[in-house]
Amino acid sequence: MKSIPHKRSREVEAWLKREITEQKARYRKIVAEQDALEPKRTKWVAEFLQRIQSRGTHVHFNIMRKVRPEEIPVQPKRKFRVVV
Amino acid sequence: MARPHIEPFVDRDVSFRKFTMPGFPKGMQYKMLSLDPDNGACTMTVMFEPGYRQPPGMSYSEYELFIMTGSITVGDKVHGPGSYFMVPAGVSIGALSSPRGATGLLFYNYGEPSFVESDSDHPRAERHKFAVVNSYDDMQWTSTNFFPATAPGCLVKVLHFDERTQAFTFLYCMTPNFWQDNISYHDCAEEAYHIWGTSWMMQFGDLPTGGYFYRPPYINHGAFGCKLGTLAIGRTDSRLYNHFHFNPWTNVEENRERAASRVQHWMPDLYKWINTHGHNHPVDFEFTHGHAHGDTPHHHGDGMVEHSHKKKRRRRK
Ligand SMILES: [Fe+2]
Repeated sequence: MKSIPHKRSREVEAWLKREITEQKARYRKIVAEQDALEPKRTKWVAEFLQRIQSRGTHVHFNIMRKVRPEEIPVQPKRKFRVVV
Repeated sequence: MARPHIEPFVDRDVSFRKFTMPGFPKGMQYKMLSLDPDNGACTMTVMFEPGYRQPPGMSYSEYELFIMTGSITVGDKVHGPGSYFMVPAGVSIGALSSPRGATGLLFYNYGEPSFVESDSDHPRAERHKFAVVNSYDDMQWTSTNFFPATAPGCLVKVLHFDERTQAFTFLYCMTPNFWQDNISYHDCAEEAYHIWGTSWMMQFGDLPTGGYFYRPPYINHGAFGCKLGTLAIGRTDSRLYNHFHFNPWTNVEENRERAASRVQHWMPDLYKWINTHGHNHPVDFEFTHGHAHGDTPHHHGDGMVEHSHKKKRRRRK
């Protein structure tokens, strides 16, 4: 029993409605901030793709393997979204 | 819809406000971290003002409380930083007070915050699942025991494990100079809050003290790094499996499809059975509520997998 069925009062509904509206605004702000991070992210991704070829990528715990150049993925044309 | 992807959100950027939810006593403040618009389930940073008093009572939803600073008194026992409570729905806890104030995290996992004054349990309460522990003083760090596992230097203390869903709540730390060079995603949702320290992810940048995320399933995160160490609390809503890879650009649909393909190859017989266009009602013989009132989405051979029943008696074959 994760939650017990009950009736919500009008005050509770109003509280939830307000919180949902505010969360939508928070979400939009996060998306904008993360879009602004794109230039840095592009650099981080490029560095990552280099490191996994030279030092390797983690497979399990301390087990790593080097990625071959032909395995390196190509960025698709679509927009790169990190917040879904 | 379930909770949205909130990542990252730093609660130090906003101020506490009065918690005015009906039923709760005065003297609690909060910052909303994430909220499920459908059922009201939410995670909040909370502050009990000095002198806060709450009579014995219960909640309609299961909740978890983790104390970060200060202390609360429940019954006659004082609970300081690191104290963790798992309170199942309907379980009444003793009078709670905070003479000098406290801050913590409150996780309402299946419904909106509620408080009903009562010194006895609700008839449907699962009292045996109630748990209290001081995670700082009474538990030790262990390696993660998943396969595949996170890189060395990520340690955990498992605070709660749900037998039915395999959801779990855990403290984790990253040692100074922790790094993990892969990208991960899971079939479960996960959320976490930084009690102390800053760590970095290739997608989202730095997450500092007070940083939080709620991440729905199949979202890429990592590579990871942490210069000075991090102490955090995390929670999943079901079983966590580390789907590792190194393609920065895959999306949720591709990640989900890869996970499904893995089920097909790892558990071919089960996969086939689930996919059968017959009358599949996966029922867990260990749980009476497995499929009693259609609480599990299923189908009748028509592919309508989101189908669920109105309340009615269980069908027997
Ligand atoms: Fe994760």
